Parts: sequence; structure tokens; C-alpha cells
Amino acid sequence: MRANLTLFFLLVFVVAAVSGWEWPYIAKLMPVYVAAIPGIVLCLVQLFREATAWEERKGTQGGVEMDEVYQAKLEKRIETRRTLIFFAWFIGGALGIWLFGIVIAIPALVFLYMLFEGKEKWSTSLIMTVSAYLLIWGLFEYMLEARWPPGLLFR
Amino acid sequence: MEISLLDAAVKGLLNVFQLKVLLAMLAGVCIGTFTAVAPQGLGTPLVYAILLPVVIKWEPVTGIALLIGASSVSAICAAYLPILFGIPGGSGSQATVLDGYPMGKRGEARRALGASFMAGGLGCLIGTLTLALAIPAARPLIYLMGSPELFVVMLWGLSMVAVLAGRRPLKGLIAAAFGLLLATIGQQAQSGIMRFVFDQPYLLDGFSISIIALAVFGIPSALDLALTKLGVEQEPAPLKGSLFDGVKDTLREWLLVLRCSFVGVWVGIVPGLGSQVVDWLAYGHAVQSAKSGKENFGKGDVRGVIAPESANDAKDGGDLVTTLLLGFPQGVATALFIVALLAWGFVPGPEMVKKNADIIYSVVWIQGLSGITGTLIGFILAQQLAKLAQVRYSIMVPVMFLFILMGAFAVNRDPLDLVVVVAFGILGYFMRRFGYPRPAMILGLVLGELMERYLYRSMASYGFTWLTRPAVIVLLVFAAVSFIMTLRGRAKGKGPEAQSPVTGAIARVGDES
Repeated sequence: MRANLTLFFLLVFVVAAVSGWEWPYIAKLMPVYVAAIPGIVLCLVQLFREATAWEERKGTQGGVEMDEVYQAKLEKRIETRRTLIFFAWFIGGALGIWLFGIVIAIPALVFLYMLFEGKEKWSTSLIMTVSAYLLIWGLFEYMLEARWPPGLLFR
Repeated sequence: MEISLLDAAVKGLLNVFQLKVLLAMLAGVCIGTFTAVAPQGLGTPLVYAILLPVVIKWEPVTGIALLIGASSVSAICAAYLPILFGIPGGSGSQATVLDGYPMGKRGEARRALGASFMAGGLGCLIGTLTLALAIPAARPLIYLMGSPELFVVMLWGLSMVAVLAGRRPLKGLIAAAFGLLLATIGQQAQSGIMRFVFDQPYLLDGFSISIIALAVFGIPSALDLALTKLGVEQEPAPLKGSLFDGVKDTLREWLLVLRCSFVGVWVGIVPGLGSQVVDWLAYGHAVQSAKSGKENFGKGDVRGVIAPESANDAKDGGDLVTTLLLGFPQGVATALFIVALLAWGFVPGPEMVKKNADIIYSVVWIQGLSGITGTLIGFILAQQLAKLAQVRYSIMVPVMFLFILMGAFAVNRDPLDLVVVVAFGILGYFMRRFGYPRPAMILGLVLGELMERYLYRSMASYGFTWLTRPAVIVLLVFAAVSFIMTLRGRAKGKGPEAQSPVTGAIARVGDES
């Protein structure tokens, strides 16, 4: 699975190098020579290290972690299920904005998530929903006069 | 020159004293306070990513007030979690756990918090003062810089990947190259050529950096909460004692505050030192230099709170020196601050010092005022803020959904932005899952466009002879030395990861500088 992400990056760099190969020098200097070609080399080295379990044998180099470290101590099955549910909610929210518009979709997402996924009380869910509505409609549409576009179903 | 800088300082102050700017600063301080106190999930980079799509449409000083207000106070109030719960409130406050939590457990939480607020406030002011003094000191040098020198400065900034990549330099370089590649999508300004557009009008202007940052940091953070389904699981230490005892302790240890603040400023300014470990450096210094330090530290000595907190807050001033005067970021938050400045039409670095010195001074004033306001809020609302640390995941996650989706959609009101936020959110999840440092990608993305611009100008004006300019050579040497020193430091394995007492479902040692 880990190698898949490296392969993804490798694919992106290869596509970039091939796409940009015919461009004039000034246009391909940064994307092809500075990013894509070194990227391909780095990905190949990384793939070799993953194939030979280099990091497991040598350990990561000294220094501190500069990004969040993933150390979830959850059962694999639970972790996968919760991750998929999370992304389902998130993608559902994005789809809702596209179909119904943000003024309806976001408060609905807040209400439904809190009630069904979070098992919160009706009253707490409603208070948060109204707050979300006031933020989106009240602050943006009313105070900042920034009109949100209607959803696909209301055009 | 001095008179014009004085004028800029006065104009910068007048910019700040407008009702909307002060209100934005106050709103930023409130957001930053919540960020610092809230359970795992929020950090300064995420707050910047959420706020960016909104504030770039505001007037610059108002937007700056919101962003700087949020970041400067988040360090001051970061001591709640270490002192009350024994978990770090983000990088820069990890060392506070060692003495803060024992103090909390023995009924001196308010004393520890008082010391933390006071030391943080003083550190913030010392950092701000350094930033203010650095502007006239650096200005004569900055006037000597042309496009070639600026390109090398950007290259120096990119060498920061070695730092931002942490323990995984190879993956960091891949992420940075990916960021550079993303930065080139769209129509090239210099040649007019469409790069990686694939006949998609959406890609003509490239991806919005703020949407990408929002996605790659926001979604994995929200997922953390949804996975673990908790806020802070421990019972907090009792909020007993007196805040003013902590204030008195801090004033008594003024020399320690001063020394550690300068440690913080130094770490913030010098590329490659790794501002994420500033608290450990200050703590180590305090252990070595304080009377009976080795016997008492780690057992609830108030100096173990004062030292890291003053350094952590002073560091922000040092970070802004390189960000504003040289134009390269020391972390994700400052990288996103550069994105905001670019969106407002300012080019951070020498160009900004020459053309928009008043805006730089506005940043200085806002930083100082936010530090004072944040300290006062900490003192006044200590009791209430402690309760914020126990907000449940079922409230935090939908709130984060709201801000991520709204932030992404607010940029262009284009449904395709939602596709981008979902796609990069998934990518951010996998990057974090498999140890590809996201800060390195953001750095490549932010610096890519600037580097290309300066490289093009250098090549067009001087051909390859720009490489022989004395200032270019000196800067290249500086960049190489900082890069090699960073790698050498890592090779020696001096990282303080072993010191970190962080445990839990998901340890958070993110770059929050």
C-alpha cells in the first residue's frame, strides 16, 4: 500500500515530463528539469528502499518529525470503517453543496452528522445547525453581501 | 532613510488603529485562543488554511490583523493542555508538560498558567521588538538585492525542505518536487504557454494554494477526531492556586525570560535550526543554567514552564523576520502567510521592504498588540478556557467540515473546487498515513512560482553570468552551509524525539511554526 503512493507520485512525474518535453526551454525549465525529472529519480530510489525494506532495517534518519505522526492504535477493521464513514460524510457534504447549495447543505450536514454519527441530543444538534446557518447565510449573504450560488436542483 | 522608516512605522501604526482592523485582530485572538486550547485537531496551519480563502478578499491590513492575531496568541495560550492534561498543545509547548503537569497535579495549575501567560507575553514582545529592529538593520543590505539574489534566497527557502522533511528527507524531497510541479500548472506568465491544462478551463489559472492547504491539513485533522472519537480523555488537573503567583515567578526570573526569548528569536531567524524544537532548546538551556536545575526540573519547577513558553512565543517574531524581510517561510503557517501577502499584491522579501514598509510595520504592531491582548484574555478567562479543552469530537468534526467546505467553496464559488478539496483531502490523508511530509509539499507549492519568476528575470537579464555575482555566491554559501548543517545535525541523531512524552491515539508533533 505504501508503495502505491510512491507509484502515484512516479506516475505524475512521468506524465509531467512527457507532457512538457516539447515545450520551449523557458516553459519546461521548472516543471520538467527542476521538478519532474528529479522527482522520477527520487521516486525510483524510494521504491528501491521500499522494496528492500530499507527504512525498517536502517530506521529513519535522526531528527524530529516535522509533520503529524500517524500512530493510530485502532483495530484495522475499525479504522478502515471509520475512515470510510468519515469520507462518505465529507463527500456527501460536497455533493450536497453541488446539488442543494451551501446554505442548505452545510447546516443539513452539521445536523445529520451530530445526530446520527455523533449521537448528540436533538437540542445540541439544532443549536449547532442554526449557528452554522447563521454563519453561512447571516455573515456571508447578509453582512458581507457575498451571494452563494444556488444548487444544481434550484437553478 | 531613517526618516522614511519612521514614517513607515507611524503609517503602519495608523493602519492598525481602525475599528475594523482592531475588531479583526480581536477575532483572530479569539480564534487563536480556541485553537490553542481545543483538543487535538486544530493548529495554526489549519486555522490559516481555513481563514485564507476568506481574508484574501478583505483589505490587506484587516486580513493581516486576523491572521497574525490568531497565530501570535495560539502560542501564548498553548499551555492549557500541557498543564491541565499533561499533553502538548502543539509543537513549541511539548517541554512545558514536564514541569507544568506536575505543578497542575499538586494544585498549582493557576500558578503555572500565570507564569506561562506572563512568560509568553513577554517573549512575544521581545520577538516583536527584534522584528522591529531588524527592519532598519537589514534595509541597506536588501537594497543590494536583484532578481538573481532573490532567486538564491528562494532556493535557500527551498533548502528548508531538509528541515520540513524531518526524519524522511527523501520523501520530503518528493513531496517538495510534487509541490513545485503543482505550482507550474496553468498559463505561464513569461511565455504564455499552457502547462498541464489538458484542455480544462478550470486549470488555466492553476490550483488555489489555499484550497490545497485547507484540504491536505484540514481533512486529516478532522479524520483524527473521527477515528479516535474523543476530545481529551484524561480528567483535567484541578484549576487551583493563584495566577499572580505565576506572574511574580516570571518577573523574578526576568533574566531567564530574556535569555530564552533570545533563544526563540534566534531559532526563528536562522534557517535550518528547526523551530519545532525551540521549547526543548530553551528547556535544555534552563536546566543547564538555572540554580539546582538538574535536581528540580521535571518535578514541577516553575522555571520549566517559563523557559519553553517565553522561547516559543518569541520565535514567532524571529519567524517573521525571515518571512517578511527575506521572503521565505520557516514553516507551514508562515508559508500560508506568504500566500496571503501575494494574494494582496505584496511580494514578501526585499521588494516588500522597499515598497510596503508600512505594511511590515503594521504586522509588527499587530503582533505586539495581539500578544498583549492574548495574555490578558488568558488571565481573565483562565477558568472558562479550561472547559474548551473538553469539546467533544461530535461537535468538532462537523464544525471542521463546515469550515473546510465553506473555505474551499468561498474561493471561487465553483463546484469544481469541491472536487479539488476532496481529492487533495484524500491525498493529504495518504501522505500523512505513509510519512510524506505535507509541509514540504506546501513549501514547494508556495516557492515554485516565485522561484520561476526570479529565475526567468535573472536568465533574461544576465544569462548565466548572474551566477558569478558576489552577493549570489555569498548567499549560495549561506544556503549550502545551512542545508549541510541541518543534514549533519540529523545524521548525528540529536533529535529530541526521545524526550517527547507524547503518547496517545495519535501523537501530534506537527509543524505549527
